[in-house]
Amino acid sequence: MAEIVSIHATSHTPVMINFPDAIPSEDRQAIFAAFRSVGEDILAARPDAVVVISDDHVHNFFMDNFPAFCIGAAASYPTPVEHWLKVDKQTLRGDAALGAHLLGEALNSGFDPSFSMNLTLDHGVLTPLHLAEMAADVAVVPLLVNCVQPPLPPMSRALQWGQFLGKALQSYQGCGRVSILATGGISHDIATPRMGLLNEQFDRRFMSLLGADDDAALVAYATDHVNEAGNGAEEIRTWLVAHGAARSLKARFEPVYYQGVAGWYTGIGLGRWNTAAG
Amino acid sequence: MNRNWRQDMPTPQAYWMNRVLFDVHHQDSHLARYKASPDDYMKDIPLEAALKAAIRDNDIGAMYLAGVNPYLLRAHCLGLHIPEKTFLESLRAAGAQQEEEASHG
Repeated sequence: MAEIVSIHATSHTPVMINFPDAIPSEDRQAIFAAFRSVGEDILAARPDAVVVISDDHVHNFFMDNFPAFCIGAAASYPTPVEHWLKVDKQTLRGDAALGAHLLGEALNSGFDPSFSMNLTLDHGVLTPLHLAEMAADVAVVPLLVNCVQPPLPPMSRALQWGQFLGKALQSYQGCGRVSILATGGISHDIATPRMGLLNEQFDRRFMSLLGADDDAALVAYATDHVNEAGNGAEEIRTWLVAHGAARSLKARFEPVYYQGVAGWYTGIGLGRWNTAAG
Repeated sequence: MNRNWRQDMPTPQAYWMNRVLFDVHHQDSHLARYKASPDDYMKDIPLEAALKAAIRDNDIGAMYLAGVNPYLLRAHCLGLHIPEKTFLESLRAAGAQQEEEASHG
C-alpha cells in the first residue's frame, strides 16, 4: 500500500516566468526561495510519484467538452502548451498506472471524472515544478479541476474529491510513496476590470481556516467569499482537494509563505500539511 | 456585488468568440492566418459584425463584456503582444461601463 509522504500547495502564475522583474528583487528572491524549499521538502520525502492537482487554463479542454475533474493517465506529458510562456519545452514523466488506479477507484466510489492519455500541460502544473526545481526529478499524475470556466464544481465537491483521493492513494499497491502538490490561487483576477487588485484578507483567512479543525467553516468561507477574491481565486478548489486528502491522515496545514504581490497580480501563498512522513 | 464571471454559462455568441481565440492559439497555422487577415479568418464564423470587430480591433473591454473566457482573453493578448497598459486600461473602462449598467438595473 502506498504512503502519502508529503502534501503541499502553492500559487502559480505565468507572470512569475514571463515577467519576474515586475516586482522588487528581494520579494522575488524570497518567493523563489519558498518554492525551492517546497521542492526540497518533496524530494526529501522520496516520492515515487506526485499527484499534481491543478487546472487546465482552456488549452486541453474547450467548451466542446469541458470536464469538471480529469485524471491524467499518460506515461509522459509535454509542457508547456502555451507558445508564449518563457520556459523551455520539456516532457514530464508520468505514472500511467497510478492514474489508471485513481480513475478506477473514483468510478467505483461515486465520482465521475473524465480521463486523458494525451495532455500537454500548461503553466499551472509546470510553474511550481519548475520553480521548485523538481520538474525533471518526479513522475506526475495530473488531477485537473475546472476552476476556469463556469459552471464550476462546488467547493464542497473539491473537498470530497480530496477525501476520496487520500483513501485511493493509500489503497494503491503499485508503489510505496506518493506526494500531493496542489497549485493555484490565491486571490487574483485574470482579464477582468479588477485585474491587479488582491484580497489579502481573504487569502489570510482562507489559509487560517485550512489550519483550523472546521471543514464546514472552510468550505462555507470559500463558497461565500470567492467572488471577493477574483476569478483566479476559484483555483482554491485545488487546495481543498489537497486538504481533503490531508484529513484522511489527520495532517494539519501550516503556511510556508504568503505575500500579496500586486506586481504579479497575485496573492502568492505556499503551504504544507504535516504528514507523518514529512 | 462583485462577481468573478460575466456569465454563469457561456452564451452561443461567447462560445464562437471563444472558438476564434482558442483556435488562433492552438491550431497549427491559425495564428499566421489570423494575423494575415482577421476578417478573412472569421468570415465563416456565425457572429454578428460588431462582435467580430471587437476581436479584430483587439477591443479587450468589449470582448470581456461579451463574455469571452478571461483565460482565453489573457492568452490572446499575450500571444498578440498587446501592451499591458492597453490591456488593463480597456478592462478598467469596461468595468466602469459594467457598473453603470448595474446602477441602471
